[in-house]
Amino acid sequence: MDYMEGGKLFRRSSNWKMNKGKIFKLAKGFRGRAKNCIRIARERVEKALQYSYRDRHNKKRDMRSLWVERINSGTRLHGVNYGKFMHGLMKENIQLNRKVLSELSMHEPYSFKALVDVSAHHFQGTGLSKRRV
Amino acid sequence: MATAVASPTFLSSAFAPRHHRRLTRLAGPRRAAPVGLAVRCEKSDKQKRQPLSALVPREQRFMFEGDELCGPDIWNTTWYPKAADHVTTEKTWYVVDATDKILGRLASTIAVHIRGKNEPTYTPSVDMGAFVIVVNAEKVAVSGKKRSQKLYRRHSGRPGGMKEETFDQLQKRIPERIVEHAVRGMLPKGRLGRRLFTHLKVYKGAEHPHEAQKPVPLPIRDKRIQKTG
Repeated sequence: MDYMEGGKLFRRSSNWKMNKGKIFKLAKGFRGRAKNCIRIARERVEKALQYSYRDRHNKKRDMRSLWVERINSGTRLHGVNYGKFMHGLMKENIQLNRKVLSELSMHEPYSFKALVDVSAHHFQGTGLSKRRV
Repeated sequence: MATAVASPTFLSSAFAPRHHRRLTRLAGPRRAAPVGLAVRCEKSDKQKRQPLSALVPREQRFMFEGDELCGPDIWNTTWYPKAADHVTTEKTWYVVDATDKILGRLASTIAVHIRGKNEPTYTPSVDMGAFVIVVNAEKVAVSGKKRSQKLYRRHSGRPGGMKEETFDQLQKRIPERIVEHAVRGMLPKGRLGRRLFTHLKVYKGAEHPHEAQKPVPLPIRDKRIQKTG
């Protein structure tokens, strides 16, 4: 009957007045009637909580892909692509994670260049395909 | 003393020689960006780059700790650009001559630079790219029979309102639209994409009115972009 969602207890009761306050508190900032009218607010709040559950998991994926993109463009400035760079780092047993590598590529260009040189031992040529900018 | 010093290095060389060396190399001092490699997200962090540890004499450093002493931790939190990092007046301007360049390859290069994907400070939600000026747009080239067969379609919204014209007809009519159409298809669609599109400036002849922005030639790595023969 009662269920937990978003850390709040939702009571499935015929008396909707019981958790209206909680719903409206969660519905702050919503557009139009969804912040004022209980029937619409309830639906939107349930959806919002579902989205927040899903996106807590997606956020980790999105951040990692952003780090990979940043490392990629950082290494391509030095003429190497991301795949060869990471392969070289793995071979050298450098266990820096992608978050830190992306921050190094932005804030510490000399250290990053040193890392690129370290990983360059493990592949022939530049690893940069001819067509990439 | 000699043995005490020797044994840790012996052990480390036996088990993880390279790892140990890498740690010491990476823990090097933070320097301001010298000539050659630029630190690309400096602008908003300028005030924070002088941590107290550089200003406070060694004896008094015990009075401070943590963030106050070494500056905020910028290496373990993902950087997000502040307003000072993407001021429009400080963006780079590139110029490229479209004479005899393959349309799609040129548009791809341009879109990458406008979006900012060539920089390590790339952020998808923020406009971190550069401006690109294209001159001689009427001389852009296509391969094969596209000149007479590639169709550009538009629809007026009314029934039966589809209009099509071929590449060379459009090139005679409005040559800038060809490059713009190509680049717009390669930029993201949405509010930010529309704003990025305004950073593309296409001109018909060899002149452009942006000399005051001092545009630099666009670096192109694509070897097959120039049409031969």
